Amino acid sequence: MKLLDCPDIGKRPISEFDYLGEIRIPPSDADEATWADYVFNRDNAPGVLRERWYHRPTGRWFILERNTLTDEVVGLVDPADVRYKEPNYEVPA
Amino acid sequence: MPWRLLKFGLQSEHNEPRFFPESKPLKSHYDVVIIGGGGHGMACAYYLAKEHGITNVAVLEQGYIGGGNTGRNTTIVRSNYLTPEGVKFYDTSVKLFEDLADDFDLNIFYSTRGHFTLAHTDSALRTMRWRAEVNKHQGIDSEVVGREEIAKEVPYMDLDCNGHAPVMGALYHAPGSVARHDAVAWGYARGAYNRGVEIHQKTRVTAIRTQGDKVVGVDTDRGQISCNKVISMVAGSTPRITEMLGIRTPIEIFPLQACVSEPVKPFMDTIVVSGSLHVYVSQSSRGELVMGASVDPSVLHSTRSSFDFVEGLADQMLDLFPFMSRMKVMRQWAGMSDITPDFAPIMGKTPIDGFYLDAGWGTWGFKATPVSGKTMAWTVANDKTHELIEPFRLSRFADFDLVGEKGAASVGH
Amino acid sequence: MKYRLDPQPLEWIDRRESVSFRFEGQSFSGFRGDSLSSALLASGQKLLGRSFKYHRPRGVLSMANHDVNALFQSDEATNIRGDVTPVSEGLDLRACNVNGSLANDKDSYIGLLSRFLPVGFYYKAFHKPKKYFPFWEKIIREKAGLGEINTDWTATRQPKQYGFCDVLVIGAGASGMSAALTAADAGADVVLVDENPHIGGSLDYQLANVEEAAGVRADLKTRVRSHANIRLLEGHYAAGWYTDHYVPLVGADGIVKMRAEQVIMATGVMEQPSVFRNNDLPGVMLASAAQRLITRYAVKPGQRAVVLTGNDEGYRAALDLLEAGIEVAAVVDLEWLDKRGPWAEQVKAKNIPILEQSAIYEAKGKDALTGVVVGEFDGRGCDSGLTRKFACDLLLMSVGWAPASQMLYQSGCKLGYDKKAHQILPRALSNGLHACGRLNGAFTLEQRLADGERAAKDAMAQLKGEAINMDLTLHRDSAAHSHDWPIIRHPKGKNFLDIDEDLQLKDLINAAKEGFDNIELMKRFSTNGMGPSQGKHSNMNGIRVLAEITGKSIDETGSTTARPMFHPVPVSAMAGRRFRPERLTPMHQWHLDNGVQLMEAGQWMRPEYYLPVSEAGASDAAGAGQIDQRQQAILQEVQAVRSGLGLIDVSTLGKIEVMGPDAARLLDVVYTMKMSTIKIGMTRYALAVDDSGVIIDDGIVGRIAEDRFYVTATTSHAAAAFRTLSLKIQELGLNVRLANLTGSMAAMNLAGPASRKLLSGLTDVDLSEANFPYLGMREGTLCGYPVRLIRVGFVGELGYEIHLSAAGAMEVWETLMREGQSAGIRPFGVEAQRILRLEKGHIIVGQDTDGLTNPFEANMSWAVPLKSKPWFTGKPSLALLKARCQRKLIGFRLPQGFTGELPKECHLIIENGEIAGRITSIAYSPSLGRTIGLAMVDLPLADEATELKVRVDGGAMVSIEPCPTPFYDADGARQTADLTEVA
Repeated sequence: MKLLDCPDIGKRPISEFDYLGEIRIPPSDADEATWADYVFNRDNAPGVLRERWYHRPTGRWFILERNTLTDEVVGLVDPADVRYKEPNYEVPA
Repeated sequence: MPWRLLKFGLQSEHNEPRFFPESKPLKSHYDVVIIGGGGHGMACAYYLAKEHGITNVAVLEQGYIGGGNTGRNTTIVRSNYLTPEGVKFYDTSVKLFEDLADDFDLNIFYSTRGHFTLAHTDSALRTMRWRAEVNKHQGIDSEVVGREEIAKEVPYMDLDCNGHAPVMGALYHAPGSVARHDAVAWGYARGAYNRGVEIHQKTRVTAIRTQGDKVVGVDTDRGQISCNKVISMVAGSTPRITEMLGIRTPIEIFPLQACVSEPVKPFMDTIVVSGSLHVYVSQSSRGELVMGASVDPSVLHSTRSSFDFVEGLADQMLDLFPFMSRMKVMRQWAGMSDITPDFAPIMGKTPIDGFYLDAGWGTWGFKATPVSGKTMAWTVANDKTHELIEPFRLSRFADFDLVGEKGAASVGH
Repeated sequence: MKYRLDPQPLEWIDRRESVSFRFEGQSFSGFRGDSLSSALLASGQKLLGRSFKYHRPRGVLSMANHDVNALFQSDEATNIRGDVTPVSEGLDLRACNVNGSLANDKDSYIGLLSRFLPVGFYYKAFHKPKKYFPFWEKIIREKAGLGEINTDWTATRQPKQYGFCDVLVIGAGASGMSAALTAADAGADVVLVDENPHIGGSLDYQLANVEEAAGVRADLKTRVRSHANIRLLEGHYAAGWYTDHYVPLVGADGIVKMRAEQVIMATGVMEQPSVFRNNDLPGVMLASAAQRLITRYAVKPGQRAVVLTGNDEGYRAALDLLEAGIEVAAVVDLEWLDKRGPWAEQVKAKNIPILEQSAIYEAKGKDALTGVVVGEFDGRGCDSGLTRKFACDLLLMSVGWAPASQMLYQSGCKLGYDKKAHQILPRALSNGLHACGRLNGAFTLEQRLADGERAAKDAMAQLKGEAINMDLTLHRDSAAHSHDWPIIRHPKGKNFLDIDEDLQLKDLINAAKEGFDNIELMKRFSTNGMGPSQGKHSNMNGIRVLAEITGKSIDETGSTTARPMFHPVPVSAMAGRRFRPERLTPMHQWHLDNGVQLMEAGQWMRPEYYLPVSEAGASDAAGAGQIDQRQQAILQEVQAVRSGLGLIDVSTLGKIEVMGPDAARLLDVVYTMKMSTIKIGMTRYALAVDDSGVIIDDGIVGRIAEDRFYVTATTSHAAAAFRTLSLKIQELGLNVRLANLTGSMAAMNLAGPASRKLLSGLTDVDLSEANFPYLGMREGTLCGYPVRLIRVGFVGELGYEIHLSAAGAMEVWETLMREGQSAGIRPFGVEAQRILRLEKGHIIVGQDTDGLTNPFEANMSWAVPLKSKPWFTGKPSLALLKARCQRKLIGFRLPQGFTGELPKECHLIIENGEIAGRITSIAYSPSLGRTIGLAMVDLPLADEATELKVRVDGGAMVSIEPCPTPFYDADGARQTADLTEVA
């Protein structure tokens, strides 16, 4: 079983983790097409992806850069680097 | 003894014609280029040539014919989907499958076994009824059956699941079948080749050239080709192709694993699927149990195997079939599933003129092989989306008009 | 045991303990330590099985767990491998895949038909006409498969172990032991594993009689066994290599899942057969098989032997035969003698005829080998016609080796063909992987020891994180130990390339002719390598044949992919112990003591309903005569809540406390409605949608303090709700802390007109309508325990959800049940709650909604403040979807006294022959005295229809009448009003 490095307690078997997928940030002032792209589309080609993982036993979310072709973890991402503020979405009249 | 076998015995030489051409250089121009020499690509080439007279076609395959998900799936064919559009589409496929051996003059071992999808919860049973009702409405033979009826067909199954989540009922789909997956791809390939289509194995597409929003050619590791129509039929490799054109899709690639047991004398005639236990099983004509589960939990563009998969499968399988504990798993493998958010494929035209997409096949691509080939060929020949695949257009996501197939998915093989 | 030799110095058998067993109805005996095949051979039973397709007689091939033609079955097990399974007292074995008996297999005629069954024949026959295929298929299926299983076998499950080590060495032969010792001496924690019951590897069977090896052997074994840093696992095979050096080691008692930092593959090589006519006859075996028989089991593999060789090892085998008293009629060498070393000279010195530049053209015999035809060999075939015959009952094949490199391939290592060694060798290894010994081309004992040491040093350096310059070639042998073409064509065929699958040389040639000239396609069309040994003795020759046909190099030809398992793994071992976690609420025992019928809700066990003593008065109204006990109990529970008092255990709800300055902001993001405006002490309905606007959960949010909230979620979504809240905290960088109280808090809902009255005597909370209104939330004590009370309305009566620590829950529950007796209190379960909420028109997420349902479709636009709230998850999607709503959830009812076939949940609504919706909930409402339900119906039909048709079981159409919801107490008077008003 693959191991993942939980930032709190170190290497744990991957079965303890939940996978959310690539980091996505809701766009502000999105038109319909931009919003639909955010909701559904993904950066899906093989390569290094920033992904959110959740370690169930410790309740810890964290972000890894992982190569989705080789399954190698490249590094840990500081959540502050991808933080965002709630967009202010006005419903078009 | 069938006369074909007699003929073989009486020949002094093995004089069977080639299925596929020998390797030869690429031409500089084709009318249509199909990327992907799996079942779908070969079927599309076949129907382009057979039904639309389009034969200046090249199928480009980076590996070998049928070496992707065509040769890695567990070969189940069925049409008991949840949505009317899904049912209609897969029913057309089942009907094509039934005549394929005749059509090819090749035995694809299309074998109708009956297909049980077990329900272990109230809500699963509700979904089964939903599917059964939609199926029946479309004239598909599906029904919800109770424990007694299951026990009659699969007497060796432990319906009590060793005391946890007992089987409450099942969706029974009599037309559920298995087929020899390789033979389907080979049959289409041979038929296409005999009608003039070129098949180039070990030929990898490196770029798709466009002018404006129009396709003008394809670059490969064996040279350049000019063409105005390109169809991508590459399942797990779809993101690599769409990336070349900057087309964004909702597809994500997850490995889907499977395994086979050592061969034993056939005892299992039906196909059994359990969504709650995440397992499915049938027995091949070689005597192997062909078994699978749901897709892996995280994105990966790889066909590596994991031990957790076989462990989990073995554990769950014993709830249904305790005797299997004395069998052995012989081989495991994986394919790359191209999963969409609504568990329905993406087919047809794209924002790039002349570029057609056949993707999003998730865990159900094999059973769609004939119908996808046929409808994509029609769509390309007419440059107009075939009505059967209209619900599966790429633009449905931008329109928030998704296909409601989610309910039938979890383990829907 | 007439073929038993005198005691051999390294033998595995224990001659003090004799073991009796039966095979094909006859009695046999062997010694403890014998394998089934060795015990049978010792008694002269050379015929061990029949082949898969042609039912040809087969015997020993490898004695190395590749002998898939010597497969046995018993009443207890199937596909038992004779070559490696130990004998045990009382076994009663039969051969697999025989029709009749092994000696008289009625299917052996199929071999005569082989010319009618060319490669891939089944693709070209049986399908025309279509209607006859099932007939043919039945026949084919009857012939398919190997052993039989018994579906009455009960489940066996073996516990698993987890192991960890610095260095895992796979294979305890000379190089493996050398590697293990080197790493252990350097301080590493080493696990050394070998699939055989005893360490030693080929050192013990191939070099058994080599004097120089004796000292080395004793030294290695003693040190390995006594080294404090080495854990030795004999009798375990490595099933495969998995990510992060995870290697399951499978033994008789189960699997050890080993996690290593470094893996050294010392897996050796697998001897390869020569391909010639009748190379499958019992008596034809690999040289190493004969050596194993002699050294391990003291079994004489034959009386008079011919040895076919293409390397030095064949001469070693000839010497070993002589040592065992077996006559060697001739050694047949594929090449010239001058290529050979000292072993060949020893053979020559013993005046054994050596036929150079020769090969076996054909083996003779019916059910066993009686002689061979040796032909002049030109490097490609024996077509000159110059032949000599030898009578013999044993033919050894020593023509080359294929690496046991399956796990190297699995780990992504690169291998390539070495044209000097005529063997595939490792080229570039992945990080943490090492290879040594014969697998890596080191063949002499000195080379193997040195190579093991080198690999271990590389592993130790990597373990310490040092960069290494791995040179795999340092200790490789310069001489070839494999022949590049041990394949002899014959006009009459029966020269088997894959004996698992009965594939002849021509089958591969013909497959290529038909266009299957790619190694993978060839495998798939011909089935080469697809049998139970997974190509261990056929893949290499297959590659050689295809390379020859296509004129390509071995590397260009490539190899098929080596998938796990290395050997098949029992399902019992993989399944492990059965572990199905079950969660029980604090009141579980009470439920059990009071007639509960439990239902599974994910991992939780919940009361579905109770079957207590009957209450005559209540049952009449529901028409108890027609309905079963279950239905009656449920209806009584409903009525208890409506008319008096009910208590339901809702401890399985998700319960989360949200604390911190940004708590309100977090909840505003996660839920559609505005939570920041909830007043302290009040609650609000909480609806969650995903990014695409689909309903995923509902619950309530209550405000405890300005910066403190209490959130509940549905049972099935509890974990996900906590996860989502945690995620948003991180995404937005909020100052919020969460406490997941789902497991530590219990909850129950006391519902019914008498609830206030009952509670008032037990709590210090002021329950008056003015001080504790509907949707209010108060803290206080109940029966002395701190509790949180919430005025909820899910079931539509005056009611209080009581949340408290699990420790006090049982006492509170029992007190309520006791004190509530006078008000007719009943416990009620999930089923009654479903009816109660349906009467109120409340949805159940996941039942009345599906994977695409948005709040507008669920008639909940009131919960979607698009204008007043600047943001919540899914808002832009809902803004889009609002105008595109295509269906709607509506209420409906059946006529009073309806007696026809009742619609069921998920029956379809049909309009003009088309599907126009489906029923999502339906139940008999005791309060209304008729059947009611919810249905998801297409627009505009949902708004316009006054009558809808449902197709029920059997196909009849039933009319239902759309109606507004709630069905019961539409203005909600009963849940908000003062007790006195509704009593």
